[in-house]
Amino acid sequence: MSDQDLVVETVRDVLAGHEPLLLSAERPWDEGLWTALAEAGLTGVGLPEEAGGSGGELADAVAVVRTLAAGAGAVPVAEQLLVAAPALLAADLDLPAPEEPLTIAVDGAVTAEPSDDGDGPGRFTLTGTAVDVPWAGVARHVAVLATPPAGIEGAVLAVVDTAGLDASRAVNLAGEPRGSLVLDGVGVPGALLGPAQAGMVRARYALARAVQISAALEQVLAWTVQYAGERVQFGRPLGKFQAIQMELAQMAGEVTSTAALVDAAVQALDRGEDTVVLAAAAAKVRAGAAVEVVAKLAHQVHGAIGFTQEYRLHHLTRRCWSWRDEGGTELAWSRTLGAGLVAAGGDDLWPALTRVV
Amino acid sequence: MSSNSLTLAPAPPSEAAEQVRLEVRQFLAEELAAGTFSTHVDTWLSGVDPEFSRKLGARGWLGMTWPRQYGGHERTAMERYAVTEELLAAGAPVAAHWIADRQSGPNLLRYGTEEQRKDILPRIAAGECYFVIGMSEPDSGSDLASIRTRATRDGDGDFVVNGAKVWTSNAHHSHYGIVLVRTGPPGEGPRGKHQGLTQLLVDLSLPGITINPIRILDGGHHFNEVVFDDVVVPAGMLLGTEGAGWHQVTAELAFERSGPERFLSTWPLLAEFGRRAAATGDPAQLATLGRLSARALALRQLSLRIAAALDRGELPDIPAALVKDVGTTFEQDVVDEVRRVVDVVPSLDSPDPLGRALAEAQLHAPGYTLRGGTNEILRGIVARGLGLR
Ligand SMILES: Cc1cc2nc3c(=O)[nH]c(=O)nc-3n(C[C@H](O)[C@H](O)[C@H](O)COP(=O)(O)OP(=O)(O)OC[C@H]3O[C@@H](n4cnc5c(N)ncnc54)[C@H](O)[C@@H]3O)c2cc1C
Repeated sequence: MSDQDLVVETVRDVLAGHEPLLLSAERPWDEGLWTALAEAGLTGVGLPEEAGGSGGELADAVAVVRTLAAGAGAVPVAEQLLVAAPALLAADLDLPAPEEPLTIAVDGAVTAEPSDDGDGPGRFTLTGTAVDVPWAGVARHVAVLATPPAGIEGAVLAVVDTAGLDASRAVNLAGEPRGSLVLDGVGVPGALLGPAQAGMVRARYALARAVQISAALEQVLAWTVQYAGERVQFGRPLGKFQAIQMELAQMAGEVTSTAALVDAAVQALDRGEDTVVLAAAAAKVRAGAAVEVVAKLAHQVHGAIGFTQEYRLHHLTRRCWSWRDEGGTELAWSRTLGAGLVAAGGDDLWPALTRVV
Repeated sequence: MSSNSLTLAPAPPSEAAEQVRLEVRQFLAEELAAGTFSTHVDTWLSGVDPEFSRKLGARGWLGMTWPRQYGGHERTAMERYAVTEELLAAGAPVAAHWIADRQSGPNLLRYGTEEQRKDILPRIAAGECYFVIGMSEPDSGSDLASIRTRATRDGDGDFVVNGAKVWTSNAHHSHYGIVLVRTGPPGEGPRGKHQGLTQLLVDLSLPGITINPIRILDGGHHFNEVVFDDVVVPAGMLLGTEGAGWHQVTAELAFERSGPERFLSTWPLLAEFGRRAAATGDPAQLATLGRLSARALALRQLSLRIAAALDRGELPDIPAALVKDVGTTFEQDVVDEVRRVVDVVPSLDSPDPLGRALAEAQLHAPGYTLRGGTNEILRGIVARGLGLR
């Protein structure tokens, strides 16, 4: 068994005791699942031990995120392992303890001014409202990407302890918290990022969502194939009808395409290639296109059973419908990719494309 | 999904492939500058230029993966992949040799006699010998095993062929066909008709063969009807085993379905659109460019994985069917998506290169999802990979 298989096995064991939750105002996340993951050291996978993490590679962290996404685990692991923690590490900022959930805020109007509150350099005062913050009100820490002081390009990345801060409650289509966070002149540790580094943080967020979508869609396909083999109509399993076979094959085409590109983008990130932003954009856009087809057909094949809250399918399809527009909408990433591929001129499209991944 | 037969291992990056890619790019830029060809859509069907094919042969870019003793170059499938991709992306005229290099040659390598290989393969690798696929018939398309072209043995053991093949691409420019014929009665049961089929290597200049043109929607002559009237095919031209034609054809289709030509037929249109989007900076056009490019990037990853699987000696027929389904759907969607965001009227006479590319791509579009097996048939194969049949 490889390290990754071992990680996946461990996450599956933890997940086994946690049915996907119907999220509500009272239960905005699966705290029990988080605690179990944290106790097993799984909320620090892929983060260096010197920084308080559990060690391991990016691929291990991706494996954890994939497994949790396929299991509809309502915990901020993707945000922590693939986005916020690596961003803080890259900026030489201290990592909060991995046992405490950490999330990312990249949107909204938050300004950062250097502060000399006596705690030394590397401190900023944040003012404004961060919006669309995943797990707002749940995560203990937020890595905030804020607008730097006038005249400076790039962004300020700062770590905010949310204890005592107000988070507004809003949810995505699956009921996952996506609220705003009001920052009223809070002094926090932070670092200046150049435009490229800030772009990397956003790209990581998009890629994290693509990883989650890819894993969830694989699971949706597997459930749908299984269901089509069990549900009998007209004396035959649904999967024996050619019309259903066509739909399942189409789903498989989307799922397989997405997985291949997401894999390639993760590898590009791992190798630290300068095309990562375009690779992440492509993965996010391709995954979003797959959601259109796979979620629609999965519900169709499941019939009315898949349209109910009792049945598991919606835990994944509702998430996918949201995830494709989070971390930058699909439209925004499509434009970024299109513009990026012809940035060196319209004649460069093909050579540019062959360089992305 | 890791447990089903659709998943392929990632393709490790190949430096040799990137090297040859740059060489081909350089060559194409020079040829374009010298005006030896102009870019068109779907040139692996319509771009017949024997002179160009010979140039590729001289550079060692045909028969790339074959053994040296047959004129090949013993390079990897990944290197061949890079070459074919560059040629297609540039819309280069590659139709003359395409079938021979892609599938007839590999078919001869697998099933041909030593004499057949020695005689024919070096000529294919030199870009001088072209092939047609003699499978489809007027009444046999998807249901290929229902073919009626027959071959019977005469007193000398030679085959006497009667019947007609149809849609044979470029028969009027080609030297040989690998022709599927019925040589024996079908067996019992639903798969019985797969028995008694045989592949013959047919010299298209033999007496009794008539090649009649069939024009496609843009007026181009690429298709043909090939009629066999008591054509005597020497016994030595049997390909592989008599009666094993079905098995051989199925293996051949794996080569036929797996390459980048299954998603790059309309690339020259997308390239032209890329120029337009860059010039206008229009956000809707850039977004469309991005969406289509993301799909192309995913298809490249899949197709590269298939090339890597071929290098490992696998025959990834089910993933190849999947890629061809997704890829040809993409080829058609390129036309629809581009025309939604540009103010251009498609016409073969358009002074605007984008209008011309749109017209070419539109008029060729129905073919993408038919040739080499229809998408409905391919999805049936994918469904088998999902364990449904
Ligand atoms: C550009 C081009 C080049 C070609 N070149 C060659 C060549 O060089 N040599 C050669 O031999 N052939 C060639 N062909 C023929 C090609 O292989 C056939 O078109 C193809 O096999 C489909 O057969 P058909 O056109 O007779 O359609 P049909 O088989 O009659 O099918 C018509 C429709 O019915 C659907 N259908 C049929 N059976 C089923 C089923 N069981 N389940 C669900 N749907 C079904 C098909 O998917 C299709 O949508 C070429 C075709 C094109 C378009």
